[in-house]
Amino acid sequence: MSNFRLAGGLLVGVLLTAIMTPASAQQGPLVDAEWLSKNLENPKVRVFEVSVDPGIYERGHVPGAVNINWHTDLVDTVRRDVVGREKFEELLEKAGVTKDTTIVLYGDNNNWFAAWGAWVFNQYGLGDQVKLLDGGRKLWEKQALPVDTKAPSYARSDLTLPPAKPELRARLPDVLAVAEGKKDAVIVDIRSGDEFSGKLFAPEGSKELSIRAGHVPGAKNVTWSKAVDPETGKFRSKEELKKLYADAGVDGSKPIIVYCRIGERSSHTWYALSRILGYDVRNYDGSWTEYGNSVGVPIANLAGTVWQGK
Amino acid sequence: MRLFPVLISLAVAAALIAGVLHLSSGDGGERALGLSLAFGALFGLVLQRSRFCFFCHTRDLVDDGDPRGVLAILVALAVGAASYLVVIGAWLPVPSPERLPPDAHIGPVSLVLAGAALIFGFGMAMSGSCISAHLYRLGEGSPTAPFALLGAVGGFVLGFLTWNPLYLSVISEAPVIWLPHHLGYAGTVGVTLAVLGLLAGLALCWARPHRGVEKACSPSNLSGLSYAIFVARWPVAIGGVAVGVLSAASYLRVGPLGVTAEIGSLARSGAGLLDILPETLHGLDGFRGCATVVKAALLSENGLFIVGLIAASFAAALTAGQFAPRWPKPVDVFSGLLGGILMGWGAMTALGCTVGVLLSGIHAGALSGWVFLACCLIGTLLGLPIRRRLMTARAS
Repeated sequence: MSNFRLAGGLLVGVLLTAIMTPASAQQGPLVDAEWLSKNLENPKVRVFEVSVDPGIYERGHVPGAVNINWHTDLVDTVRRDVVGREKFEELLEKAGVTKDTTIVLYGDNNNWFAAWGAWVFNQYGLGDQVKLLDGGRKLWEKQALPVDTKAPSYARSDLTLPPAKPELRARLPDVLAVAEGKKDAVIVDIRSGDEFSGKLFAPEGSKELSIRAGHVPGAKNVTWSKAVDPETGKFRSKEELKKLYADAGVDGSKPIIVYCRIGERSSHTWYALSRILGYDVRNYDGSWTEYGNSVGVPIANLAGTVWQGK
Repeated sequence: MRLFPVLISLAVAAALIAGVLHLSSGDGGERALGLSLAFGALFGLVLQRSRFCFFCHTRDLVDDGDPRGVLAILVALAVGAASYLVVIGAWLPVPSPERLPPDAHIGPVSLVLAGAALIFGFGMAMSGSCISAHLYRLGEGSPTAPFALLGAVGGFVLGFLTWNPLYLSVISEAPVIWLPHHLGYAGTVGVTLAVLGLLAGLALCWARPHRGVEKACSPSNLSGLSYAIFVARWPVAIGGVAVGVLSAASYLRVGPLGVTAEIGSLARSGAGLLDILPETLHGLDGFRGCATVVKAALLSENGLFIVGLIAASFAAALTAGQFAPRWPKPVDVFSGLLGGILMGWGAMTALGCTVGVLLSGIHAGALSGWVFLACCLIGTLLGLPIRRRLMTARAS
């Protein structure tokens, strides 16, 4: 009898493993397009698109993907802050996310906003469940994988999230303490070289300006795009990333703070350093639009640009 | 059909097809450009072959009692509204209050919109066509169209200059009304079809027995069929259905139909170079409609749409023997420029024209589309007597 039970238990175990395998087969913080295309029907996988261009999701998205609107769903639309817990819970419950759902995020613009999304998901304790689709929307389209235009609907789940973790986020005083030498950490500025040097106040077409140019004193400049292969948009390998940042003096031996202009491109680098390399990293989402507008903070402006109100 | 024009038409068609194929073999962004070119060409072909023109159809009914054109417009509105619903229903299964269908032309409803549509209608009457019809007439060699389009560019610049005060005093407070939020999807399409049916009934009441009968053709043999397709004016229902379906197809794959975004972009970039525009146009880039961005790339979706439209209309007109360039007379220049300026100002201020606001707006269930329709019609009726006098002055 006990043999029977053992055999039955084994059988159930084997079956369960077989069912569970697809979702758990992809270890690590990234999934590739091939894996995702085989797991679209997997009820334990929920895909979210976080793109900034309106109408992109609707005209064709990864089948079954739920749309997240970065400008309204992931932020507080009145205060400058990440989305509050209740609103975020509501979004995930509507999409049927539970504690054992594998959450895959992807988007346009090299996953910039999807990475911001991942940072928000991580703050609410979902870090182990969240993965980025490597190469994002661009690679999915390039490989001509199928897209769908229907909005999916899922059975509502019941999800309780913990309060947002403050330790993934750097605030102005934290950055200032490092800039003034009161705290030991390494700051990474992931903007373009021209923004870093102070030649540009903001990239072309950006409306949110700072009235000072330059960077946080002591920051290392590693432009975000160096972390991806320009052809595929995929993250470089773990070894390549390790070397890229180590060459700039970022080796994970000290806590790291990343920033950009509004905090979304830096989420991309946050993902590489924190989720792929496993370093202790905080994203400074106030970024240059907060720092460069703050009164009395130290700034390094190599280009010596003077703000003229234009 | 003479051979030479047909050969040129074939060459143009081949160039368009080659362009579409070339762009479609590129990446995601380029594929959308290829599709825009194809949609533009189809739109140009349909407009030219069915003589689709908001102004001329209204005039035909008012002056000659011929309701066919107006019925074609109403069919296009009805078919498009139903087809749009198929698309929007898949994207937003429920018209929940906080959401709008992405980049559908649902604009703010205000007195400014009403005034702009009225001025647009008046300008349409002055110049003898709306902007989309001037574009396809450019392909037919019209002597007025180049001046009307030039005037429209000027009108856009005037529109940019008056935008900020109008935006701050009126438009920023104006409600953006999407009918499905208030009536649901079924209610919206029901009301839309009912109103269109009523308008069709009115048009038929207004109609007088028609005098000119087009040459009867039997498409039962090859020459009859090719005559029906390439030479004769397409029947009302076919033109209307084609415009309606094309509108929804374009919305599904690229974006709502519109013909003024590119003209507006050219005007904005050109005037920007001359440094005569205000530095910031408040709120403009946040609106849906034929909002006009500063030109960033040479090949844009709307630019290729216009290129396709003009080229296909040219090829179609040439084959049909309707390519009739004529040296412009002073009255052509005058009416074109004046009407164009009024239309340009109206289209900029209303965020689009008869295609972008009226057609794409009503299709999407936007109240702004209906307001444009009503006010543009009033403007046209006000302008018609003046145009008649202008044209008889030319004849005498």
